[in-house]
Amino acid sequence: MVLAVKAVDLKIGYMDEEEKIYWAVRGVSFQVSESEIYCIVGESGCGKSTIGNAIAGILPSHAVTSGKLYIYDKKVIDNEKMDYTGIRGRVVSYIPQNPGTSLNPYETIEEQFYHVLSSVYGYDKRKSVETARRYLAMVELDPDKVLDYYPHELSGGMQQRAAISIALATGARIIVADEPTSSLDAHLRLQLIRLMRKLRDTVRLSLILITHDLVSAGRICDTIAVMYAGKIVEEGRGSLLLTEPLHPYTQMLVDAVPILGLKKPLKSIPGEPPQVGGEISWCVFRERCPVAFEKCGIHPPELYIMERKVSCWRYMNHGAR
Amino acid sequence: MNSIEANIRGAAYLVRKQFRKMRFKTGLAIVLVITILALLSPIIAPFPEEGLGYIPENAVAKARLPPNPVNIFGTDTRGRDLFSRVLFGAGSALVEILIVVLTSLSIGIIIGVSAAYFKGVVEHVLNYLIELFVSVPAIIIALALRLAIGPGLYVVILGLITTWWSWYARITYIYARSIVEMDYVVLARLSGLNSLKIIYRHVLRNTIPPVLVQAVTDMGSVLLEATSINFIGLGVPLNSPEWGVIMLEGLPVITIAPWITMFPGIFLLITALGFSLIGDSLREELDPRMRRRWRLWF
Amino acid sequence: MVPGDIIRLEDVTAGYVVIKQGIKSIAREKMVVLRNINLRIKDGERVVIIGESGSGKTTLLRVILGLLKPFNGRVFVIGKDIYSLKWRERVKVLRQIGYVSQDPYKALNPSVKVGTILEEPLEALGISERGSRVKDILRLVNLPENVLNMYPMELSGGMRQRVLIARAIIHDPEVLILDEPTSALDVSMQAQIVNLINEIHRKLELAVLTVTHDLGVAQYLADRAVVLYRGEIIEEGDIDSIIKNPRNEYTRLLVSSY
Repeated sequence: MVLAVKAVDLKIGYMDEEEKIYWAVRGVSFQVSESEIYCIVGESGCGKSTIGNAIAGILPSHAVTSGKLYIYDKKVIDNEKMDYTGIRGRVVSYIPQNPGTSLNPYETIEEQFYHVLSSVYGYDKRKSVETARRYLAMVELDPDKVLDYYPHELSGGMQQRAAISIALATGARIIVADEPTSSLDAHLRLQLIRLMRKLRDTVRLSLILITHDLVSAGRICDTIAVMYAGKIVEEGRGSLLLTEPLHPYTQMLVDAVPILGLKKPLKSIPGEPPQVGGEISWCVFRERCPVAFEKCGIHPPELYIMERKVSCWRYMNHGAR
Repeated sequence: MNSIEANIRGAAYLVRKQFRKMRFKTGLAIVLVITILALLSPIIAPFPEEGLGYIPENAVAKARLPPNPVNIFGTDTRGRDLFSRVLFGAGSALVEILIVVLTSLSIGIIIGVSAAYFKGVVEHVLNYLIELFVSVPAIIIALALRLAIGPGLYVVILGLITTWWSWYARITYIYARSIVEMDYVVLARLSGLNSLKIIYRHVLRNTIPPVLVQAVTDMGSVLLEATSINFIGLGVPLNSPEWGVIMLEGLPVITIAPWITMFPGIFLLITALGFSLIGDSLREELDPRMRRRWRLWF
Repeated sequence: MVPGDIIRLEDVTAGYVVIKQGIKSIAREKMVVLRNINLRIKDGERVVIIGESGSGKTTLLRVILGLLKPFNGRVFVIGKDIYSLKWRERVKVLRQIGYVSQDPYKALNPSVKVGTILEEPLEALGISERGSRVKDILRLVNLPENVLNMYPMELSGGMRQRVLIARAIIHDPEVLILDEPTSALDVSMQAQIVNLINEIHRKLELAVLTVTHDLGVAQYLADRAVVLYRGEIIEEGDIDSIIKNPRNEYTRLLVSSY
């Protein structure tokens, strides 16, 4: 199995003018294979967007890193060094939260394809239109209804697909999508989910989805990683993680999601999610955890239980390292 | 609207931040030095009456002397100590800048905000006026004023105010327009709050900071414009302590006494540069850099 | 306690006038966004308007809030036809509405302290003794007293949302109107806000009108639901029955894609 992305104890922080480092990602390790949809789920401030940015190669210049990140065996992050040559924009493509903003409002879709393809591959106009048609069809957009239009003339759902198809046309093997479902209405969300699955199977695309929408994640993803305060607290196969959560945080997240037709009481998680900050040596969830005990003074290691990875002392006796 | 985020920590914090930047420190240093020279000119100037324009007794003998130990900048065509004149000229320069900028800012902000807040006919009329005045060069107004009231500092100041207010009005209008559509303004109006309070608390507080920064950056340009008007003789009369006028007086003899035009010119450029550096440094703070930091909290 | 309806829309058709510039003429075209809307909200009732983007929900809210005069039909707030009143009189009636807008980031003036923001509705009413009321409301929405001295940007999204809600209810309105109260929030904060809205409904005994596209949230906030599609009300009734047995095709689509 080819590994599209591999992170080993990756830490990412931001340095401000006073040379203080605020850690957003506190040491995560994970792998994404080819032809896999991997979701990183968490509340705002947990660091999921930062990881997405790291994979896409768009970390800001004042970012500080440590640990290793590999993309198809190329080491893009090697402790403090970052080297994305040949990767950024080629192997990995990024689709931001509002897809409309990643499209140039002054160019038609056809022009945008040309712009990108001519700079990456040197295609001429004819070849780029040909390629555009192919990729638009892949995302189920009718080229004749899209090519001559400006982004603002397309609906939100269509903009998103157009952005995805441009990303694919650059030859991306990995697409990082930040909150792809948040600006979409419910039925459009379903369509997008179906499209992503199709791309995963036909083109063998690796998709990294960053979202706080648990429900959609459960529907699309092969693997879900739950993040809290810069660490992955649980990781496992798709919907199983949500129906049988192990980590207390995952459990509380699931409890807070409304289920249609079932009026269970909505339980919110007391307290606020933590902001980026200094080093933490205790379990990151300790303050809000209802079942924390003495051992939680040290951050728990990752334990493997069946196909699940959990970072919680409660499973110490159940799992193996 | 990142100027708003700057607002929260207060102007004091913003200013303290600037002190880390070389650009700001240089600009501030220049402006402070010029201000101190201007304020202390009656004391520092070796020949204060000459500085003010009076012609000394042995004028002919002292005319057009190159820089020497007694007159460190030399003397002008009428034998006056150039250094003293330049020093007093600094005072004029600052007065010109301050009055013009403060007045046109005040007028411009009031008109810009009124156009944006009251909309309808008021908006149309004010916009029309703004666009009209924005396109008029100050020199034309200065010429008209000069013909009407004769020479004097008023000509320059009034001429500049008449055109600059529209510039600030336009900027304010553009900012205020988007502020007025914000939910918090709509809510305030719906709750029946007094219009003036709404304008002060919601509109002005968010519109003034960026306009203010623009004004600081503009101070250099105002100085240059004012000096130009004097330089072509449309403003203060000859012999006044004003850089532009000194430079004008030095023009006919520029080949034999270049220092007369040169020294005020240098001071002019340096002062304009000082303001420019300060404004530039402030402006940088209010845009991309602020945005980058505050993203962490979202 | 108010007899009759707090809010009533009678056969409202509304939209915007678009000015189209032709070569020889200028045409004013009516763009109709809402058609024949009939809506009633009774005292103490919780109503949810379910609408996706493009359904006309934003226009509907503007009509109810007195910001957009409809082409046809009438809008009654506490029995008064608001569009027949002059602005001053209209404002007096509209005070009975507490409104929470959609974007918690745009709805608060960033250069004003939270304390002033909260006091503003009371200030507008000319009430000078505001301190205790402010403290009571803070307790109700579960915000610590020190937020009064903070600026909006210093608060988290969830706290900001609560400030908005506090501001909307501080002057004791008859009805609370919320526009997508949970869309900008994380799942755990959504739950907090939904629970808070219901608590406020119970404690202050006011009517609540929520506009949302999220069926899950609608479930918890409605006694009665109204489905808005392309400017028309296509289904109406008890929220649980709508979810179990959606009659309209569009409603079925909404439920199945949740």
